[in-house]
Amino acid sequence: MVACKCRPNGSQMNCDALHARLQALDFAIVETTLYLDAYPTCAKALEYYSRLVAERAAVAEALHTQCGKPTTAWDNKNPNSWDWIKGPWPWQIEAN
Amino acid sequence: MWLYEKKLQHPVKIKNPNPQLAQIIISQLGGPDGELAASMRYLHQRYSSPYDEVTGILTDVGTEELAHLEMVAAILYQLTRNLSEEQIKNSPFATYFVDHTTGLYPVAASGTPFDMKYVGVKGDILTDLHEDLAAEQKARTTYDNILRLTDDPDVKDAIQFLRQRELVHFQRFGDAIRIAQDHLDSKNFYAFNPSFDKASGVFRKK
Repeated sequence: MVACKCRPNGSQMNCDALHARLQALDFAIVETTLYLDAYPTCAKALEYYSRLVAERAAVAEALHTQCGKPTTAWDNKNPNSWDWIKGPWPWQIEAN
Repeated sequence: MWLYEKKLQHPVKIKNPNPQLAQIIISQLGGPDGELAASMRYLHQRYSSPYDEVTGILTDVGTEELAHLEMVAAILYQLTRNLSEEQIKNSPFATYFVDHTTGLYPVAASGTPFDMKYVGVKGDILTDLHEDLAAEQKARTTYDNILRLTDDPDVKDAIQFLRQRELVHFQRFGDAIRIAQDHLDSKNFYAFNPSFDKASGVFRKK
């Protein structure tokens, strides 16, 4: 498990914590993909990437279904509601 | 293709509006060394990259620059919200306001609109990568200058993140040059264009 300061031991993450965790994981993934672009055979980087994307999938799934917050237009899980366009949008303080 | 992720790469939470500061920071939106120039530069250079690693770097850094463009826009949006007429009237921001209100239009701090002339795509991968190293340094210097002009901790947090990313991109472009040069040998570093002169036989064989 990749170290996380925002999850108190043993408790569920709330939606704000999930959002923050997703931001952190996605940043680590971007950084790792840039590194792998230059060093595509680095086993340590590939292994780190695999761990990150596995946790990322779980956090994103929780955010999409439990919190009803799709992060892309392809993740709108509620069949009765187009949550994708609901505010706040990322440049608004409430979204951060 | 591109899919949009509805979140900022790094949080931007600016408590205090400041149109004067927005007037300065807008250079990283539409200025010569800003994020729009960077994204357009790398995303267009990638079409003449003969090497997968380099194409990957140009694609992924170029995409990240679009995310940075969005962060700069978020900073500007938050710095120009809830402004009174007094705040606008008495600041250099008034000249931008008259034409754009508080909409976000890519200009440099001088008011010059974004110009594709800031971007080079020479169609020679070695040439293009050298421009990219310089571009990242120029962006870093611009962020250094912004940091000199504000004490607001919320603004500094976002700007310092963006500045750090420029340093990392600089490293990756250094890697890209080494990778491109490894495909050439000392006799022909500049004797031909690896993006164009296929007859040389050093194009990557799949």
